[in-house]
Amino acid sequence: MTPQDSRQESREDLRFFGTVSASVSHELKNVLAVINEAAGLLEDLALMAGRGTPLDPERLARAATTILGQVRRGDTIVRAMNGFAHLPDEPEDATHAGTDLAAILNLAASLFTRMADMRQVSLRLGDCAPAMSQANPFDLIRLLHSAMLAAFGTMGRGDTLTVSLAPASEGTRLVLSPSGAPLALPDDPGFNALAARLDTVAALDDTGSLVLAIRR
Amino acid sequence: MKILLVDDEVELVSAMAERLQLRGYDADWTDSGDDALVMARTCSYDLAVLDIRMPKISGLELKRRLFELCPSMKFIFLSGQGSESDFKEGCAGGVCYLIKPIRIEDLVARIEEDATHGGDQ
Repeated sequence: MTPQDSRQESREDLRFFGTVSASVSHELKNVLAVINEAAGLLEDLALMAGRGTPLDPERLARAATTILGQVRRGDTIVRAMNGFAHLPDEPEDATHAGTDLAAILNLAASLFTRMADMRQVSLRLGDCAPAMSQANPFDLIRLLHSAMLAAFGTMGRGDTLTVSLAPASEGTRLVLSPSGAPLALPDDPGFNALAARLDTVAALDDTGSLVLAIRR
Repeated sequence: MKILLVDDEVELVSAMAERLQLRGYDADWTDSGDDALVMARTCSYDLAVLDIRMPKISGLELKRRLFELCPSMKFIFLSGQGSESDFKEGCAGGVCYLIKPIRIEDLVARIEEDATHGGDQ
């Protein structure tokens, strides 16, 4: 890889990090906005009670339940972002202890569900057999993001994309299965370069699923 | 004044509608652009408060379709993106929107301004 290629790759990594950060920050904004309205409603009801309007316990409980639910939602989002932020910490060399593919898939599902929602498709985790890989986890989640984006682009409104893991004779198969029309192979130089770096072969099976064969 | 609020976050839009009702406004809400178009078909709403970023129909597209149905309807946009300075810049450029999380007083002020002078169309 030339120094120029290396710089370009670093920029692509940063761009991907920015894309994910922007999506997560937008979702956190929504969490804060919901908490803001529920807390504001509690404040309104307290003010009214101060002026003599009887308090309705059911309304108070509903607002409190909303706040608690949004705190849990926010916590899930922050934990996923934290996990994502630490992926580049993994060394590239042989000291890399191995990547838990099921954990990466779970993380991808947490990070990219809103992306699916905005495209009016659903993202679902299927069977995830335990599997370890020597693949770099940051590159792997970038590859997944790229594959999912390509899949969402060919899927119809209301379709579901199920992502699963299965052992293979050599390595592991990561399968993206659409509920509707067959997927197409991602036509993106960035995807192809990443797949090559991860020693991963992308192919379509006869059900229209995209299969990523991770060989190491 | 009759107000229609549209945002895909159900708990947000329902609480916002309730807070406007407590302030004396006749406010309905929905989490779906399609439902909003059905609710607005008789043009009984004076103003719509729309989230810009929603699945299916964006706030801007929904505004275009609601305006076709009801040309006298006024609009206020909500956005999860941006900052207070973005809001001021947007207003200076003629597209006024409130940045979430909003202060209810800011929304009420915008509603009253639209009721008095007419808002974005």
